[in-house]
Amino acid sequence: MTFDPAYIILTTASLASIYGLLAIGISIIWSSLGMINMAHGFTFAFAGYGAWIAAHTLSASAPAVLLAGIAAGALSGLAIAGVAFIPLYDKPNFPLRSLIATLGISLLGAQALLYVFGPRVKALPRIFGYGRFHLFGIAITADKLGTIICAPVVLLAVLIWARTSRRGLQIRAMMQNPEGAALVGVGLRSTALAVMALTGGLAGLAAVLLSQTYYVSPYSGLTPLLKGMIVALAGGLGSIPGALIAAVCIGFVETLTAVTLGGKFVLITQFLFIIVVLLIRPRGIAGMLEQTRE
Amino acid sequence: MRDQPGLIDTEDAPRRLVGRRIYYRKLRTAGADRWRRLRYPFTRRTPLLLDSAFNPRTLVAERTIVDKRPLYWLAFFAVLAAAGPLAGDTLLGAATIFGIYAAINVIWLLVIGTAGIFSLATLAVVGTAAYGAAYMSIHAGLPWWGMIAVGPVFGLLFGVVIAIPATRIDGFYYALLTLGLTELCRVYVVQSQALGSATNGLYGADGILPDGASLRAQLVVSYYGAVVLLIAALALFRLVNGQRLGRLLRASPERREAFAQALGVDYRTARIKVFLISSAALGVVGGFYAVNFRGASPSLFSMDSLLLLLAMVVIGGIGRPEGAVLGTAIVVAIDRLLIGLGPLRLILVGLIMIGTVLFLHNGLVGIKQQFRNWRDRKRSEHRAKRDIRGGEYMPEEATEVRDKQLIAFRRFQRGVRESLKPLITDDLIEAHRRAPCGPHDDRLSRVLNYFRRASVVDKYAILAVRPFAEYRLVALSGQRGVPPRLIDDRSFATEEEAIHAVFLRRVQDLLES
Amino acid sequence: MSEVLRIGGLSAGYGPLTVLHSVNLTVAAGERVGLVGLNGHGKSTLLRAIAGLTGWQSGSIRLAGREVGSTRSQGPGRYTHRIVRAGLALMPQGDAIFHGLTVADHLDSGAYTRAAWRDRRRRRERVLAIFPALEKLLDVPVGRLSGGERRMTSLGRGLMADARLLLIDEPSLGLAPRISQELVAALSAIELGDSAMIIAEQNIPLLQGRVTRMLGIHAGRIKGGAEAVQLAGVNLH
Repeated sequence: MTFDPAYIILTTASLASIYGLLAIGISIIWSSLGMINMAHGFTFAFAGYGAWIAAHTLSASAPAVLLAGIAAGALSGLAIAGVAFIPLYDKPNFPLRSLIATLGISLLGAQALLYVFGPRVKALPRIFGYGRFHLFGIAITADKLGTIICAPVVLLAVLIWARTSRRGLQIRAMMQNPEGAALVGVGLRSTALAVMALTGGLAGLAAVLLSQTYYVSPYSGLTPLLKGMIVALAGGLGSIPGALIAAVCIGFVETLTAVTLGGKFVLITQFLFIIVVLLIRPRGIAGMLEQTRE
Repeated sequence: MRDQPGLIDTEDAPRRLVGRRIYYRKLRTAGADRWRRLRYPFTRRTPLLLDSAFNPRTLVAERTIVDKRPLYWLAFFAVLAAAGPLAGDTLLGAATIFGIYAAINVIWLLVIGTAGIFSLATLAVVGTAAYGAAYMSIHAGLPWWGMIAVGPVFGLLFGVVIAIPATRIDGFYYALLTLGLTELCRVYVVQSQALGSATNGLYGADGILPDGASLRAQLVVSYYGAVVLLIAALALFRLVNGQRLGRLLRASPERREAFAQALGVDYRTARIKVFLISSAALGVVGGFYAVNFRGASPSLFSMDSLLLLLAMVVIGGIGRPEGAVLGTAIVVAIDRLLIGLGPLRLILVGLIMIGTVLFLHNGLVGIKQQFRNWRDRKRSEHRAKRDIRGGEYMPEEATEVRDKQLIAFRRFQRGVRESLKPLITDDLIEAHRRAPCGPHDDRLSRVLNYFRRASVVDKYAILAVRPFAEYRLVALSGQRGVPPRLIDDRSFATEEEAIHAVFLRRVQDLLES
Repeated sequence: MSEVLRIGGLSAGYGPLTVLHSVNLTVAAGERVGLVGLNGHGKSTLLRAIAGLTGWQSGSIRLAGREVGSTRSQGPGRYTHRIVRAGLALMPQGDAIFHGLTVADHLDSGAYTRAAWRDRRRRRERVLAIFPALEKLLDVPVGRLSGGERRMTSLGRGLMADARLLLIDEPSLGLAPRISQELVAALSAIELGDSAMIIAEQNIPLLQGRVTRMLGIHAGRIKGGAEAVQLAGVNLH
């Protein structure tokens, strides 16, 4: 590989898009529901399988696979909300118990996927085709370009929707103060379901996009979950701008490491990066900017 | 009333003794024996919390074991000791795993229970120590006891790495950081040639018994090693949790650090200490693991192992060693003894884990407290309901006042007041004004009779400043030697006016009550 | 006049603690009720119980003819949003504010119900007429406001909905006397129409002359009631 700035920028952008999709989901769940969703990786894997089933039974066209992935992700998000949030949110010791419940779901879910689909990995169809494009003088594959276009568009749409719509105001209000939200008539449970469906859908999109390069397997959600967590942590849990900045930073670190040191060291440098960030700012890049839920 | 022993004592009701907790077994005792206790040598501390008292009804001296947990532990250790020669091979193998994992969990409890830091790097510490010990045994020819000795060195090194961020980062941030660290270790181990990426683990380390020993002998030796490890871990837990360091840590849980600091608790040093102690202890476990399995495998770092470990602690309940041991026993039994279920075992563990979290506040050991909280809440609601029906005076007071006659008296007084209030009308007050000293009609007599029975404390009286010329109102102190006090600055020219003023005051008090 | 609120035999508390003991209270439309009493005697708990925010409660609460206070033993806040949609606005102690949202977002969030949302611009004008100081602050995040401005925002948020019953918990808490005077004056100037207002307050002089009647709350019970206090007072002096 050559040390090419254009290549680094494009790779960073595609990684940052996927990390951003996951990290924003984790961040929104944390700040609006007060729960760390460790089952986000399961949502990722589940959405991958959902897209795979759709590709094999319905059609292998891009919209069908993408929509199936998003729908499966949203479904999984709703299931997680039903098990880990709704029965627990007004019980004592909720944050820890919901964390453990989501960990339990991720243990259970991975085993269930293994049981149903078997240990063999599945490959999704190339929904963006096999073409190569030349951009800024370097070759770029279609799936990378699709990711770079698709993820930011969806993210932007979601963010604009959150800024302007009534539902968005409802989610933002709950992120800031759940009791206050209840006092203006926001239903905690319906909002929780909406949030989990939304973030699950984002994770599903990320799953389909990432599965263009990697395979779908029962444990395929683990690494994306960890990277999403790293990004959400480095950005500051609960901060959407922080998560976006951190996604770009981590994507850049990953690309740079892969280019200069080799792929083996990616996790190590990412960890050093996040440890340094957290030691300097224990609440992440943006954790101090906004006063959100502690 | 059935739930109040001693209140009913009829023929058909079972005879219960006053105030006895029937589910406590009473031991006979006599004379100076009542005060005799088993004590640890050279200290005043007793292993058993004994309560000696006379039965109020029979006047027989009795002693009660208030806390029976030491006895249960003793029985548990006896079973463990006896299991070696008796148990079959499969069971013994599972029991060895149980001992190792229970030791890990008990040590982990020092971090997540006592210090309240949700660290998920526990297995990473064990794995690092196991890999280190195995590596040194294979490449430097370290004997098995040397491996156990070198384990804590690796553990301590890892402990330093995870202790430094723990002073600055807390809560979920730390949990996720340690989780990531574990994954980092796994990726490194899986990719490293020197650590056996080709053979899926690093094997060939020294064992306790020579290679030719029988399988049974190896199993028994491993088993007793694991039991010793568990007992050592429990002793360490007791030593740290029950002593000064444990107090300091429990005084400064997360988010309460500022309060602890205000009391002079140096929580940072305490946390670093507990990390170093627990990491060194986990290092010993790691060394033993490497000896026991003749090496180490990357599955130690895998997410599933970590989740299983978490399931053990969660099912048992965080905070008490009983919980850790119990949870470990349940999960290891499912994982090792129900092999026929295949991958369904992990699903079963996951279901139990989720069920525990959904229904129990703090695992199995928290059931007792949870039940008590639930009972207290139900009782309070029940009391509130009785109050609605016009029951007793004040629900809170009814539980605080020991003398039940007092409650009955207050209830009676309240009834009297409530029946008198409707009698007070403008006509009645006018009638009293016209003839303060009588004759009174029936209604006014009733009211006045009630007033006359008032307690002497703060009872109104009339002070004749100048007889037949100036009267003032006073309130009696009710205490000998303490004079009455004037209650206002009005003065009355006649005694009748003063009597009526007292009457008005009492009417006001009655209506306000 | 129609009834807005009828509470019958309401007991409520937290865990093993009973705070309210069998409270009865009726509030008619157009009334402005002052609820006075010392700290810790159950003023806030009464208001929170109406909103379903206590640990447990039993007894009946009818809001505009609809039963909203069924007996429940768990889940504080589980039904609050339904009670709010039935026509309640609670402006709690500590304001329950959304720190990161702007004042405009805040006021909009008060008009959360679907019908009110379409009408939110007109309602915002109405609230700004009551609290003109908020006009200049519309785009400022609430976290940066002073205590008095936050209280105004919180009150304004409550006024955005079509509440039949406005519950205001300690409007003067933590504010300078002059500001709390102004706030209470603004509250007493609000046209109530067929709704009603309950103000819980420790500072009795602040409410005098500004409410239709005053109720004392003592040790978790409504004390005496206005009629009894009046009767004794008339005959004494």
